[in-house]
Amino acid sequence: MPPTRTRSRLTLHSQTVAARLDQLEAVCSLVDQGAHSAGFDDRTSYACQLAVCEAAENIVKHGYREPGAGDIRVTTRSRPGELIIDLVDSAPPFDPTAAMPDDDWEMTDPPVGGRGLLIIRRVMDDVHYERRGHRNHLRLRKRIQAPSE
Amino acid sequence: MEIKTQVYKRVVAVTVSGRVDSATAGDLETALTALTNESHTNLVLDLAAVDFLSSSGLRVLVTTLKAVRKLGGDVRLAQPSQRAVDAINLAGLDVLFKVFPDRESAIASY
Repeated sequence: MPPTRTRSRLTLHSQTVAARLDQLEAVCSLVDQGAHSAGFDDRTSYACQLAVCEAAENIVKHGYREPGAGDIRVTTRSRPGELIIDLVDSAPPFDPTAAMPDDDWEMTDPPVGGRGLLIIRRVMDDVHYERRGHRNHLRLRKRIQAPSE
Repeated sequence: MEIKTQVYKRVVAVTVSGRVDSATAGDLETALTALTNESHTNLVLDLAAVDFLSSSGLRVLVTTLKAVRKLGGDVRLAQPSQRAVDAINLAGLDVLFKVFPDRESAIASY
């Protein structure tokens, strides 16, 4: 008898925050909710929070460039074993996937910057950027093996 | 985030707790820069109670490390929390810092 397949449940969480550094904790909380809805453990949730906060910080610092100059809509979509996070902002075009983090450095001259992009790439399975109209759309996807698989 | 500093004869131990991100990293940078300016270059950072460490916090650690190494000192990490370790590893900086399982051994290493 083939295994019974159940239709995956989709859980959505969404919040719009002011594009300020003091709002990143709220972004993390939303990601944490989404990660737990996807069945991720605390450690994987934390990694996702790190990655998404780096992306949101880039929007504040390199997108809007001025604190509070706009907002960021954060939406998480969770299914068992999968978390998708969408960050939408109306800052000037900024594609974080265009920059390659430098992971080739000397011990005598360690890198001061670029670590956020590296964290995003190491944590997430997919990072996709699109400019639609006057908005930046960044989608980050994380998958783990679902408990039922 | 909270920062507590304890000055020993040859070492300064800095206990950092809570969330170290772009909203708080400036305070950590101010505290560590003040120590460096006072010629305290043998630093132990006790990261046992750090529950979030973003690249902004890591940037402060690397900047401080580079500054004190120029003066013959070092930044050594004591009993970092799993979350601090995960952030350091994900950022590819795990080879950069000497890590000690407890505060006492980190202080004694100087």
